[in-house]
Amino acid sequence: MTTTTMNDTKYAIETRNMNIYYGAFRAVKDVTFSIERNKITALIGPSGCGKSTVLRSFNRMNDLIPGARTEGEVLYHGQNLYDPDVDAVQVRRQIGMVFQKPNPFPKSIYDNIAYGPRINGWKGSKAEMDELVERALVGAALWDEVKDKLNQSGLSLSGGQQQRLCIARAIAVQPEVILMDEPCSSLDPISTLKIEELMLELRQRYTIVIVTHNMQQAARVSDYTAFFLMDKEDRAGELIEYDVTSKVFQNPSDKRTEEYVSGRFG
Amino acid sequence: MSSESLRPESRSVGRLPEGEAVRQNVSGRQRRGKVWEGILLASTVFGIIILLMLAYNIVNDAFGGIGVQYAVEEEELTDGRPLDQLSQAELVAILETNLRSRVLQNLKRERPLAERSREELIDIINDEIIKPEVVAVYTLNEFLFNRPAIEAELRESHPRAELIFKSWLSWDFIVNPMSSKPVEAGIRTAILGTVFLLLLTMLISFPLGVGAAIYLEEYKSDKPFDERVPAGRWTNNAIQRVAGLIEANIYNLSGVPSIIYGILGLAIFVRALEQFTSGAIFGYADPTTANGRTIMSAALTMSLLVLPVVIISSQEAIRAVPSSLRQASYGLGATKWQTVWKIVLPNALPGILTGTILSISRAIGETAPLIVIGASTFIVTDPDSLFSKFTVLPLQIYNWTSRPQEEFRAIAAAAIIILLVLLLSLNAVAIWLRNYLRSKRVST
Repeated sequence: MTTTTMNDTKYAIETRNMNIYYGAFRAVKDVTFSIERNKITALIGPSGCGKSTVLRSFNRMNDLIPGARTEGEVLYHGQNLYDPDVDAVQVRRQIGMVFQKPNPFPKSIYDNIAYGPRINGWKGSKAEMDELVERALVGAALWDEVKDKLNQSGLSLSGGQQQRLCIARAIAVQPEVILMDEPCSSLDPISTLKIEELMLELRQRYTIVIVTHNMQQAARVSDYTAFFLMDKEDRAGELIEYDVTSKVFQNPSDKRTEEYVSGRFG
Repeated sequence: MSSESLRPESRSVGRLPEGEAVRQNVSGRQRRGKVWEGILLASTVFGIIILLMLAYNIVNDAFGGIGVQYAVEEEELTDGRPLDQLSQAELVAILETNLRSRVLQNLKRERPLAERSREELIDIINDEIIKPEVVAVYTLNEFLFNRPAIEAELRESHPRAELIFKSWLSWDFIVNPMSSKPVEAGIRTAILGTVFLLLLTMLISFPLGVGAAIYLEEYKSDKPFDERVPAGRWTNNAIQRVAGLIEANIYNLSGVPSIIYGILGLAIFVRALEQFTSGAIFGYADPTTANGRTIMSAALTMSLLVLPVVIISSQEAIRAVPSSLRQASYGLGATKWQTVWKIVLPNALPGILTGTILSISRAIGETAPLIVIGASTFIVTDPDSLFSKFTVLPLQIYNWTSRPQEEFRAIAAAAIIILLVLLLSLNAVAIWLRNYLRSKRVST
């Protein structure tokens, strides 16, 4: 694995005047905020407010959408991710992602985990790979449940297990940041709880950014909360308020934030 | 139904709605459904009837009775003993007494009779002395259900002929080469030609078609050249335009009549590329094929013909791979090619293979383009290289059905059965392959 030289900043990701367009339509406007290392940052807001778009801009997943483009800066330890010399492939290895619906590959559990290291040019013995797979599964609190059936298809697991498999797959390539796009929205409450516990554990080693519709979840797990809202006039999402979670939920400075977190709209 | 029962005040709570009006309404709606069900069933039955008629027609022609007449009866030659029980010396004696001296001398000059095997001698006796001749052909239906009438008819026209059952579809028919005598004619050359042609077509159209499908589905919107310089921008633009044009016209291409492809193949592969398709530039110099009318030309033409369908079905299979899998792969830092090669293709493969085999198997029945590019209709040598002359089953069938003699109609029907068996087994392979690959991928 390559070792990246880190600028010793407090922040893993900073955006400066970020605007995201889909063709001519501006989906997100003028977002400037900083995401602290080894913390969980929640992005909340009603549907269509651009929070997922913002999340996906952090590892350039928006590049995959034809016509999408990002203006302004997204800094990863001071380096602009949208610099023409930066390859999105390298960005995504460093900033991993977990999606809304569990999407394990139709391969064995073992191969699901091994896929990431293999495509990134991993060279090592079978024993080392076994160890790597085990470490990733232990890290995602899934090892005990699957250690006897590593050769079974990832699709044979339950929804919650599949999502933890996806988390294990993401941490197998040793990223620094993990982006989670509504990771619990298709899971039952017990599986959700397990994922939340897992996130709190992962916080020690990874920086986590999570998009969620579930306000209690944001309040329970996150350290910082960013509230987004769609501007009624140009339908572009904008950042309304960003602060430590307890402040956003208990004493928000913007009236719209207060209305949203207290459930009066959205 | 009157709108009455849907008004708020007529709502019934705690019991099912009843009454004559309600009953009529429900049974009326159900009846309409039944009528449609009947119509749908009828169209299915119609299709099955047509298929059964087709099968009946073919079987009726491929099996049946023939009237055979012998120049000399076997019993007369052998005093009532079956021919194959005679010893070698007795067979030689029969030949010596019954053959004309000139024929006998010719045979002896080739190889003395005493040195020949018994089977060989029996063949010669059959061919030269007994000389069976088919004087009448009857369909299976006539043979089974109208026997007295056709026997009477046969006695009338050929008093010495006898009526026997004949299956035109036989092992001999499959392994014999082409012949101008229908009784001896076989379709080995045509089967080999068809199989050879299909394999080659598959080999050409599969990589081309799947490649094009991958490009159109996964790469089309990519900009491979540097957008910051004008030349790069211009090239990207050109590539995208061409790809867009092709994609828009694939469906049109798949609808072009096959004979047009035949004409195209004649102009390009047979004529313009003659040096290549005749094998001349590879030093393959067969005087009988010193032109481009070879299996190679035919396979290239057939590939043009099936390519649009192969592309369309592969595109559909690739599109059916959930985009969440692609995203997961990209999210781990995979490049586009890694994602295509390791995630998209393995998951699309069952669909690609099924679609491809099904579309190529349709080429099995194509005749028109092959006639245009000059496939042989009468050929006795097996195709043995890419640059051989060849014939295929449908062409042979077409050729036989256009002959006046009834025997040829019968062997055409037998050849149709072989063609259908080939087609069905190819499709069965496609289905088996799909199920096998699916079960392998999503096993739990």
